Amino acid sequence: MEFFRKTLDPVIALSAIAVLDVFLFLIVGAWTVGGGETMMTGLAVKAVIGDEINRLPFWNLVFPPTFGYWKIYISFGMLFGAFVSAVIAKEFYLRIPKRLSEWVLITIGGLLMGVGIRLAFVCNVSTFFGLTPQMNLGGYLAISGIIAGAWVGSLVYKKILEA
Amino acid sequence: MSVLGECLAAFVFGSIVGVLVQRSRFCNAAALRDAILFKSYRNTKALLVAMIILTIGFTAFMSIGEGHAMHFDVGLNQMVGLFIFGIGMVLAGACTVSTWVKTGEGNVGAAWALLFTFIGMFLFSLVWSTNYWPPAPASMTGEPNLEALQFGFANASTLQEKFKIPAVFFGMIQAVVLYAIYRAIRRRERAHLGEGVSRAPQSDQTIHNTAKEAAAE
Repeated sequence: MEFFRKTLDPVIALSAIAVLDVFLFLIVGAWTVGGGETMMTGLAVKAVIGDEINRLPFWNLVFPPTFGYWKIYISFGMLFGAFVSAVIAKEFYLRIPKRLSEWVLITIGGLLMGVGIRLAFVCNVSTFFGLTPQMNLGGYLAISGIIAGAWVGSLVYKKILEA
Repeated sequence: MSVLGECLAAFVFGSIVGVLVQRSRFCNAAALRDAILFKSYRNTKALLVAMIILTIGFTAFMSIGEGHAMHFDVGLNQMVGLFIFGIGMVLAGACTVSTWVKTGEGNVGAAWALLFTFIGMFLFSLVWSTNYWPPAPASMTGEPNLEALQFGFANASTLQEKFKIPAVFFGMIQAVVLYAIYRAIRRRERAHLGEGVSRAPQSDQTIHNTAKEAAAE
């Protein structure tokens, strides 16, 4: 199929996603990723420590672990869709970072993303594709924050690239 | 809608997003990083176009009281949290969407980033459990609470209530502003092309390689 042979223009891809997101907004709510990831964290922790998790108020009051949380399935869907697409396009293969510095950067970056999402109570997807299009003032604050963060991150990244 | 129906709709939506993002190599981290570091706007333009469509779509339905708008109070924690997130996504070389999509393509680095995002979330849940800050959606009041750095609730629907003008009117204004930014980027791109300095990286196969490709040019 031609679709899986060439790279799709991201403007077309994101336009299609935006139209679908309006339908999702009407059914359950706008596209988001951080909430689903948090619920998965809770489910994973519960699988390891069992009911001990109830001693942590966050998992009692904010995200009581449950599989019936629709946001989880957006993430599983993205994983599934990307896997199928990559296999059809013959683009699926294991890519393993080679240098230690990459592993360190990814580890620190991942941790900062997790902490940032929970501190803000929103992720980048909710910021750009949820809050701001709904004209929630928090979206504008979050966009200012993420642009400033990306700028600082880019400076750090540039220094590392040049080193 | 039943819980099963909600989960199914979310999975179908996510699957289509997974295919489209995999084929287009869109990445929110690249949309900001490449614009800042390399003056390359391939992903930034896509982000803006999606935001224009969503702004008009969401506010149009909010005007007639339809849709499930997010009920988050405006708080300084959103700015600080996304600042930390912004640094993290550039260092990791992927955003929340592309970590899932790249993991689906077999990228072990992206799966590693995802694992540590979960660990970061768990660590913050420990902190939250000691001080209950910032306020969770269930405990948000919609009223300003300066002590907790919260400024109340405001979105297109509250604008409609306050000014008795349909929310979509305000949405159109925002869409025009977003389009103006899009036009400015297009102009800047054309100016760069005119100078023969087109540096748009066209692929984002591995977690970090877009930036490296562009740096090598």
